[in-house]
Amino acid sequence: MSETLVQVGKYAEEAGTKVNPLRKNESLVEVSQDRLKEFVNHLVNDSHVRHLMTITGLDLGQNLAITYNFALERDKIHVRTTVPKTKPQALSIVDIVPGAILYEMELHDMFGIDFIGNPWKDQKLLLPDEWPADLAPPLLKTTKPSEIRRRLGLEAAKP
Amino acid sequence: MPTRKVGAVIPEMFRHMLEKPTTEAYPFKPIQLTERFRGKLDIDPAKCTGCQVCSLVCPASVITMVDLGTRKVGDRELKVRRPLFDLTSCIFCGECVDNCAFNALELSKQFEIATPNKADLLMNKAVVK
Amino acid sequence: MSTPPDQQRREESAGLMEYSTESLVPFGPIHPALKEPEYFKLILEGERIVNVIPRIGYVHRGLEKAAESRPWVQNMYMFERTCGICSFVHSLCYGQAVEELTLYQVPRRAKYIRTIIAEMERIHSHLLWVGLMGHWAGFDTLFMWVWNDREVVLDLVEAIAGNRVHKSMNAICGVRRDMPENMTDRILERMKFLTDRARYYREVIDTEETMLKRTENLGRVSAETAEKLCAVGPMARYVGLKHDVRLNDPYAAYDEVPLDVITSNEGDVHALLKLRLDELIVSANIVSYAVKNLPDGPVRVKVPPIIPAGEHASHCEAPRGEIFYYVKSTGGRTPDRVKSRQPTMANIPTALEMLKGQTLADIPIVLTAIDPCFGCMDRMSFYDTETNKKWTWSGEQLRQYGINYYFPERAKQQRKFARQMGSSVNESLREAL
Repeated sequence: MSETLVQVGKYAEEAGTKVNPLRKNESLVEVSQDRLKEFVNHLVNDSHVRHLMTITGLDLGQNLAITYNFALERDKIHVRTTVPKTKPQALSIVDIVPGAILYEMELHDMFGIDFIGNPWKDQKLLLPDEWPADLAPPLLKTTKPSEIRRRLGLEAAKP
Repeated sequence: MPTRKVGAVIPEMFRHMLEKPTTEAYPFKPIQLTERFRGKLDIDPAKCTGCQVCSLVCPASVITMVDLGTRKVGDRELKVRRPLFDLTSCIFCGECVDNCAFNALELSKQFEIATPNKADLLMNKAVVK
Repeated sequence: MSTPPDQQRREESAGLMEYSTESLVPFGPIHPALKEPEYFKLILEGERIVNVIPRIGYVHRGLEKAAESRPWVQNMYMFERTCGICSFVHSLCYGQAVEELTLYQVPRRAKYIRTIIAEMERIHSHLLWVGLMGHWAGFDTLFMWVWNDREVVLDLVEAIAGNRVHKSMNAICGVRRDMPENMTDRILERMKFLTDRARYYREVIDTEETMLKRTENLGRVSAETAEKLCAVGPMARYVGLKHDVRLNDPYAAYDEVPLDVITSNEGDVHALLKLRLDELIVSANIVSYAVKNLPDGPVRVKVPPIIPAGEHASHCEAPRGEIFYYVKSTGGRTPDRVKSRQPTMANIPTALEMLKGQTLADIPIVLTAIDPCFGCMDRMSFYDTETNKKWTWSGEQLRQYGINYYFPERAKQQRKFARQMGSSVNESLREAL
């Protein structure tokens, strides 16, 4: 599997970044939004890293991080890109990896990120229909659980 | 290629008809519990010192510490606390049992604890002296 | 809904993976015709399904948000309760993700015990599933017998862990209880019993006409589609892909026990039945080996309640597929972010492709074949583009419809019986007939 990592290093160089080895068998590549699709295309179609485990969202304060978690045998390759909270729009990768469709819908529900190019991007997957439109997405650090309970009309659970 | 037929299970069906049923006879007969069965929580008040570790580790927020006054040790006034258990939320994980340094807690074999009164499941053995 | 119905129909059935927005009928989840949002909206053409739109999240409890305000150990119990049938693997995967951030090693005996309990859970889950397939196919005898045999493995788990379902055996860096004394002979004897029963059920499924009629040539998906849609677990293995986390990225003691990954080349629901029963036999073999070769030593290492900063992702093989946990710590008593991805969510796109082209009567079998873990299939709504009819059915009505479709003589007998009984006729039966 080391040849795959060497190839990933080359694609990272082309995209203007480098591979950050977190520990044995796990590495992280931070790519900017405009080079992301090219990088993922190389990873999936040229290096045959086909299995996308999931897409993870993170609240980093000023920005939101979108991490694509790929797996190939013993190696895990995380591809991370950031979008600002003021304009949370990202490019969808469903044309390269069709299995990403539900994960992007989940990020849209939970973090408010708009994936341009996802055919079901305006539909809710996990949130209830009566989610108030002015209530912030639930997994942001600024949204408090007590606020969610109050707005959805649920009884306050034990503190 | 195995032959397809209807009624491949008929010989087994006859065997089942001749044996006794496998349903447990509970509640007409007592049920067998294993040695490690996790039933209702029980405390030995004599061993409890009020260190409150059980209250801090409980995942379901079952245990609250109740202030019972103070006592004098040398020239210091130390608080006396004891735990109060609201067993309606207990998930029978056993974290409190594992973490009690004085072996005051145990998960008993009692499992018939359903009741219409919430007060029945409020265990205050350690609080009332 | 401005395009005429037959043009929509043509666009919808035009090929796989064509996700242009015109090909989807804008039918909910919020639509004035529906009484309430449903799990699946199925768009039919006469008897054949043309498109399926999923809507999940009815048992979404916000565990990822709740985990950010609870200590590390308490989160383990909370994530164990994500699912009843694969609860041990959830706490195992979370535990593994957190252990990597500490500097402690898991003792070898603890890894073996984790393997034993995880495989027993797999046996339990597959037995439960085979029974459910029998129930939805109308073969209730198989359902009762299989669930009787399931008690054997549940009694073993209760003897080791104390609970039957939420085992609460995992701790961070170890297991909480050691194996009891004198369990080896009991475990070996019961594993042999379960292996014999699994072989018998495999033979029944291969020869019994009832099961064959309902599961043959059903739910076909090409291997390339399954790989592109990132299918996991038995859903990837039944079309020939050798995707198994225990083989590709061994965790716990899986690199030291005899593991045999079963794949199938036939690619229909019947193959899925045989595949899960074969996996059961492999699991029983692993448990027997691990119990005989259990190493000595401690079972747990005490870890301080503050986990160092870092992030790690871990994956495990649950009975239904691959479970994924990502944990991020900023050096505190509570995590900064926990992400958990259950296997059924990864399998939903593949399940939707399996459903296209099937008839109405086959839906319960195909949906149960993916081994779903998102509550029961309580309500489904249907929209027939040919007759422009919309209706809703409960799971029981759909099951009865499927049985009557395939076994019309049984339906005739039931109708005669219902007439004789007079007014005590089952409402759903009348509707389904």
